[in-house]
Amino acid sequence: MSRQYDVIVVGAGNGGLAAGGITSKNGLSTLVLERHNIPGGSATSFRRGRFEFETSLHELAEVGPNPFEGTVRQLFDELGAKDVEWHFEENAFRVVLPGEGGFDATLPTGEEAFADEMERQVPGCRESVKAVFDLGRHAIEAIGYLSKGAPDPAVLQSEYADFMRIASHTTKEVLDALHMPKRAQDILVTYWCYLGAPADQLDFLYYALMLILYVQLRPAMPKMRSHEMSLALEKAIHEHGGEIWYNSEVERILVKDGKAYGVVVDGKEIYAEHIICNSHMGNALSRLLPAEEIPEKMLKLANARDIALSFVTVYLGMNRSAEELGIHDYSNFVIPCADSREQYNRCCSIEDSGYAIMNCLNTVIPESSPEGTCTLFFTTMYYGDVWKDVKPEEYKKLKIKIAGEIIENCEKALGITLKPYIEEIVIAAPPTFARYLMTPRGTPYGYQFDMWDSMMMRTMNVEAEEPIKHLRFCGACGERGDGYSSAYISGMNTGLRTVRDAKEGK
Amino acid sequence: MSKSYNIDVLDPLRFMARMEERQKRIEEAPAKEISSEYAVNKLAYALHPQKQFVRIQKVMERDADCKSFVLVPDAEKGTETLAYFSAGQYLTVFLDIEGMKLTRAYSISSSPKEALEGRYMLTVKYVQDGLASRYILDNWKEGDSVEVSAPEGFFEYNSLRDAETVVGVAGGSGITPFLSMAQAICDGDEEFNLILLYGSREAEHILFKEEFDSIMAKTDKVKVIHVLSHEEREGYEHGFVTADLIRKYAPETPYSVFLCGPQQMYTFVDKELEKLSLEKKYIRHELFGEMHNPKAQEDYPGGAPDTIRITVTVRDETRTVTGPANDSVLQILEKNGIRVPSRCRSGECGWCHSRLISGKVYIPKEIDGRRMADLKYGYIHPCAAFGLSDLEIEVPAAK
Ligand SMILES: Cc1cc2nc3c(=O)[nH]c(=O)nc-3n(C[C@H](O)[C@H](O)[C@H](O)COP(=O)(O)OP(=O)(O)OC[C@H]3O[C@@H](n4cnc5c(N)ncnc54)[C@H](O)[C@@H]3O)c2cc1C
Ligand code: FES
Repeated sequence: MSRQYDVIVVGAGNGGLAAGGITSKNGLSTLVLERHNIPGGSATSFRRGRFEFETSLHELAEVGPNPFEGTVRQLFDELGAKDVEWHFEENAFRVVLPGEGGFDATLPTGEEAFADEMERQVPGCRESVKAVFDLGRHAIEAIGYLSKGAPDPAVLQSEYADFMRIASHTTKEVLDALHMPKRAQDILVTYWCYLGAPADQLDFLYYALMLILYVQLRPAMPKMRSHEMSLALEKAIHEHGGEIWYNSEVERILVKDGKAYGVVVDGKEIYAEHIICNSHMGNALSRLLPAEEIPEKMLKLANARDIALSFVTVYLGMNRSAEELGIHDYSNFVIPCADSREQYNRCCSIEDSGYAIMNCLNTVIPESSPEGTCTLFFTTMYYGDVWKDVKPEEYKKLKIKIAGEIIENCEKALGITLKPYIEEIVIAAPPTFARYLMTPRGTPYGYQFDMWDSMMMRTMNVEAEEPIKHLRFCGACGERGDGYSSAYISGMNTGLRTVRDAKEGK
Repeated sequence: MSKSYNIDVLDPLRFMARMEERQKRIEEAPAKEISSEYAVNKLAYALHPQKQFVRIQKVMERDADCKSFVLVPDAEKGTETLAYFSAGQYLTVFLDIEGMKLTRAYSISSSPKEALEGRYMLTVKYVQDGLASRYILDNWKEGDSVEVSAPEGFFEYNSLRDAETVVGVAGGSGITPFLSMAQAICDGDEEFNLILLYGSREAEHILFKEEFDSIMAKTDKVKVIHVLSHEEREGYEHGFVTADLIRKYAPETPYSVFLCGPQQMYTFVDKELEKLSLEKKYIRHELFGEMHNPKAQEDYPGGAPDTIRITVTVRDETRTVTGPANDSVLQILEKNGIRVPSRCRSGECGWCHSRLISGKVYIPKEIDGRRMADLKYGYIHPCAAFGLSDLEIEVPAAK
């Protein structure tokens, strides 16, 4: 007879690991099922020659150097996954717009230092930059109030009117209202790509929160790449009595009369009281759930949404040190034009967009590759079905062409030479992510953020939009969207809701 | 408290409007089925199918101890087309020999173009006392159905990393990936110059002589120099592949060296390469497969019992098996009929990634392809680990 669990988690990505950690820690018998042979989903690493590459983490928010604890650190501590060794960045980012009228700005962490550098770059913007942080703090307070539940509309209107403003207006609208000069706006919104929507499509609330968390708590990187965090969470699940099965793809989620009760793996049914799905919601709707059990509202919501972006990433093992190559910053954003909407538009075609992020882990963790070497990680975005016409026989050549363009764009913009020093190279593209994450079009980002489908709008509707009983979702499709910290926290929240349901016997 | 900002021009009630907008958007959206047919996902699957079922269309005897097998899709078993690959990659073949669940890696010796036409060629040479190679040579015949993996491995050319000219050093069956590369160059699917130094015992043992001759007649980008260790013959080099020999044929401009052959060849040629002081990035080795006789390694700690007991859990099943300390953990499990995920069998690919719950293993440094965090959290690659005590491990199910 098949076994019965309290909870089955479908997928051991960041969301699934956090969810399984929470449910097992709270005494629920938990089985995590993962299709791949290692945990983490996006959060892993791979080896080539004498290098070990980070697959996807640009920088982790919400850890915080002791004693400023961010939610992610609290989660890891709470689950007993305390031994991850985090390193912190000094600078938030460097952004370079080459050419006439361009800029080259390196923004430090720490609010004052950040504001000072912004003022140096664009005289007269300091006040509006400070206002962004103040609004971010106000937002954190308001979210604290909201999370107590049953908010009083009168209190919202009187005490938290600014919160309502920033939650319902775009980043651009709020920065305009703050009279921030456009050039300062362009520099300030550099991180937009981490949420995948440009400044005129992204709510200010989420952008300000992300910025303040990076600038105040500083971005963190795990010493042994993301694989360290994934294995730490996996170990925590084992220690709390949970199980993880790898190479175990869930073929179906069993639902009857509006209630989920199990899954099918390798043709075998396994039962559970609660199912948490970390697989992309699109997979659940198209393949995992029985069509006749999908409530119309879920289908409509999915059809109203766009699938988020995907990437091309290039991993280079260099036979020179970062210093020798003249690389001093961890995050280098090379942009082809100042405006984020224009940057977005350029990423809607397969032609060279000119957009690239270059990360050099050795600037944060010098010993992350052997002495005299360094690793570089490049990212560029693709929106929509840009890769749809690529044939198998063209794939390798196309990847090499695009990687070459990305590398050259960075060489030119940053005034460095890279090509002769490439010892190892790996190029990942949307099909690579489709293969490893099994997400629609290979997106690691869930669904595209939009003003009607912003973090706040999703949060307010989480429970209403999980209409199948005993089936909950977590990960990049969740209320906080993409990003490591978002996925961890969405997994934690989903885990907590499941624990609550189990206690209440729901 | 005074605020540092004033955004009163923005309407707070927009918040309610946004909530309504959300409901409206959802209501107005169609309730149509969600597609799972994305072109990008299809491309991913075409490039990396989970497995491929093929039929042996033709067997070609190369010499007494070596055969080539032409494989075509086995539509009856659900494989309609063959996955495209990059010249130099290998396939893992899945074997069931009297209950033993083995895998072995074989480089694809046909061209990428032929894969599009529905054809792979593998060439298998007998290895003394070898288990799988003997079985394949004795048993595989035309019409048989075989299961293979998707193309795997990183022994391939990349113009962003490698020099324009590659000096290939091949020994024995190590010629196979180079035949694929030479054909890909000829077909215009790869763009580099290949100067191949191919070592054989005697001229009669040379594999693919005609194939290479015909490629050289078509393109001047491929050049093959035969190096005979046991025969002196006009038009052939004699001896081994030395630094001098490489110097003789390599260009003045920077060049890459790609090596594929038995471990002894690597040991010899690597020493020779030191004399050429090439940068590390210009030297690449194909894997040589499983390490045998770990006790011969200098840093082998000793103290292992002759027989190792392994308690192994796969999903919700646990078994205890035994095997000799000289066999890798992977081999012990396979010989006991346990299917373990594996591809490279050389410690590199990570397919066999497993959790060591208790016990001690020896992992030779040169084949330790684990990630850093694997060491911290007690993970091993069973193909590159040898038991030093009884072991308890958790292995992922083989797909
Ligand atoms: C990427 C890759 C590509 C390859 N491509 C090709 C190819 O194109 N063509 C090809 O023919 N081969 C190729 N190989 C090699 C092939 O995969 C097999 O390794 C080969 O066929 C031998 O398998 P076997 O089962 O016959 O030998 P095994 O059973 O694995 O034994 C190998 C040898 O080890 C010895 N041995 C076993 N146990 C011990 C011990 N305890 N102490 C000392 N010695 C021991 C045996 O006597 C035997 O000589 C490739 C390997 C790799 C990794
Ligand atoms: S099979 Fe590749 S590492 Fe073990």
